[in-house]
Amino acid sequence: MTDPDVMIELQGVSKSFDGGRTMAVAGVDLRVPAGQTMVLLGSSGCGKTTTLKMINRLVTPTAGRILVDGTPVDEQDLVTLRRSIGYVFQGIGLFPHLTVEENVAVGLRLRGRPRRDRNARAAELLELVALPPATFANRYPAELSGGQQQRVGVARALAADPALLLMDEPFGALDAVTRESLQQEVLRLKRRLGKTIVFVTHDVFEALTLADRITVMHRGRVEQEGPPEDLLNRPATEFVRDLFARPAARLRRLAPHGDE
Amino acid sequence: MNDDSWTGFLAARTPELGAKLVEHLWWLTFLPMLLAGLLGVPLGIRLARMPRLRSLLLAGVGVIQTVPSLAMLALLLALFGRIGKPPAIVALALYALLPIVRNTVTGLAGVPGAVIEAAEGLGFSRRQRLWWVELPLALPVILAGVRTATVICVGIATLSTFIGAGGLGDLINRGLATSNVRLVVLGAGAAAALALTLDGALGLAEGWLAPGKPPPRLRWKTALFGTSIVLLAGAGWWSRPVPATTVVEGVGEARPTIRIGSKNFTEQLILGELLAQLLEADGRFTVERVFNLGGTIICHQALLNGEIDLYPEYTGTALTTLLNEPVPDEPSRVGRMVRRAYAERFDCRWLDPFGFDNTYALTVPRALADQYGWRSISDLQAAAGDLRAGFTSEFRERADGYPGLQRAYGFQFGDVRDLGPELMYAAAAGGEVDVICAFATDGRIAAYELQVLEDDRGFFPPYQAAPVVREDVIEAHAGLAERLNRLAHQLDDATMRRLNFEVDEDGQEPAAVAQEFLRRRGLL
Repeated sequence: MTDPDVMIELQGVSKSFDGGRTMAVAGVDLRVPAGQTMVLLGSSGCGKTTTLKMINRLVTPTAGRILVDGTPVDEQDLVTLRRSIGYVFQGIGLFPHLTVEENVAVGLRLRGRPRRDRNARAAELLELVALPPATFANRYPAELSGGQQQRVGVARALAADPALLLMDEPFGALDAVTRESLQQEVLRLKRRLGKTIVFVTHDVFEALTLADRITVMHRGRVEQEGPPEDLLNRPATEFVRDLFARPAARLRRLAPHGDE
Repeated sequence: MNDDSWTGFLAARTPELGAKLVEHLWWLTFLPMLLAGLLGVPLGIRLARMPRLRSLLLAGVGVIQTVPSLAMLALLLALFGRIGKPPAIVALALYALLPIVRNTVTGLAGVPGAVIEAAEGLGFSRRQRLWWVELPLALPVILAGVRTATVICVGIATLSTFIGAGGLGDLINRGLATSNVRLVVLGAGAAAALALTLDGALGLAEGWLAPGKPPPRLRWKTALFGTSIVLLAGAGWWSRPVPATTVVEGVGEARPTIRIGSKNFTEQLILGELLAQLLEADGRFTVERVFNLGGTIICHQALLNGEIDLYPEYTGTALTTLLNEPVPDEPSRVGRMVRRAYAERFDCRWLDPFGFDNTYALTVPRALADQYGWRSISDLQAAAGDLRAGFTSEFRERADGYPGLQRAYGFQFGDVRDLGPELMYAAAAGGEVDVICAFATDGRIAAYELQVLEDDRGFFPPYQAAPVVREDVIEAHAGLAERLNRLAHQLDDATMRRLNFEVDEDGQEPAAVAQEFLRRRGLL
């Protein structure tokens, strides 16, 4: 019944945190093709983070169904499900009592992989996120900058080589320069590793930079879903038009000899 | 006061100090803390997950800590029905519970939400999250709780001497009982030093365990291991058998051990020593001294439970406190009544009396007695409302104490204060109280120029002292009763008063005073 090329499918998913009086997420339908980056875009409180967290069951939906790789998530073992999905979020949540290397490899340790394997994998991943292991492997999180910490967070999420990566405003707390460089890093990873990524952000530019497809959410509902050009050029609603008005103007300013 | 130098005193006391220190450290600190930790940390983990139950249970645990230590010991004594280490260990563990539970809850609550979310997102199971993330991060806070609890435990443990649990409290208690200030200082000082040392050591461990700092974890494991090895080794060295206490002749020929108890005041300690040394000199017995038990009831229970085999008791005390019988009109019948009741109800035998009668004696400063012409208790009638009395807590409650006295003489004192037996003589001499419930054979009555008032209405029953022995002990050890009866009628009031005085005022050891007496009487 499901398309093999669809990695994630949401069917009429709703969530209320107050017993039905208000809906944080209201009847969302969504399909994320395998290997693509889907950005959930919206202002705070629009339900994008809640939607993301229902995918790895950090939040339980009030109604609807979510399938990952064709299987409903609530029929999968919770621990197994989460271990098969990489998760990166704004709070980072590195384990302060473990070194960088141990943080990256902790997921492998949960699975009882031998130390040598773990260390080799950690070194490989630290290279991938541009933190030379020779310098960083034995440091503690408190000794890193915010940007370095989030790089470790990304490496940790990738350790078990999950096909799916959930990223919840991972760079929201970082300064513009660091954010920019991490966005480039994610693009590079995406090209190299071919992961399916669901990326939550309120930053329109970040969405345009990273997305293969964008879902604009507003008050718990999907306003429009499609490739970035569609949303820029053919906004379906007033809300989407306003959201992209500023970036569109800036694009025009940056390219004065464009098609206008 | 004894004019031995401090160094001499310390040298003489070192082996005993070591033994008591080890006892205090392992039995009365380490073991209760282990118990409290094994109970408190899991309880804290539970409570951290049940926010609604938390405040209720924390309050419950908090109530435990408000129970006064002596009351707690008494409660557990009643519950266990036996003296010694088990009730003390449980009491101490209960006190240690609150800081450990509270800090476990606080420590777990302090784990950052982001770290928990990361663990969940990574697919940690609940158990893995607890062991790999929450507990390591909460550990320094939990350890701080253990540290607080340990210091409390070392302090309160000094009180467990009253139920015969040993430890440094023995030195303090014995020092108080025999007016030996040095012994008090030694015991209290050692307890304080122990508390500070443990506090420091745990403080260091706390520093090592602080998460996310460069020193790798292997080092604190090594350090902890090293520390425990050193402590263990030290304990082993300290608790090696001290020679000269028991030199066993005739290897393999086990001599039966007789356990002698005593209450916690000078006269009882001397009597206990007299009985002990008399048996030791006989050659057929070895003796275990279970001295300084915290009161009549405790001694009695210990005797009936078989934790001690005999101890010196007073007929009047047995009648009113243990048998709960009124004082008969003919006081001379008390001895016979007690003897019969013990045989029938407790299967215990009163041996022949030592010869003195250590009655309670209402006592006033001689200067006051002379000024107002007080000679008997009745003479106090008119002035009683203006007089300040200082009574022991036992006297205030016992039927043959203040309650009965009020009924017999029909008056009350204006102010009554609870004083320890070792303090009341000095309080009377210093004018802080006017009337005290002295013990007739206490050497300090004369030393402090106090005057005993005559019990003109014959209220106080006779308090003839004698060893009380369980019948099965007498049957099992031929010659025991005969041997102990050699002390019969050897101690009249004046003799007992002198021996008490030698301990309380001359600063001699009860053991030394007893030995000297036995030698002079040719009983050794």
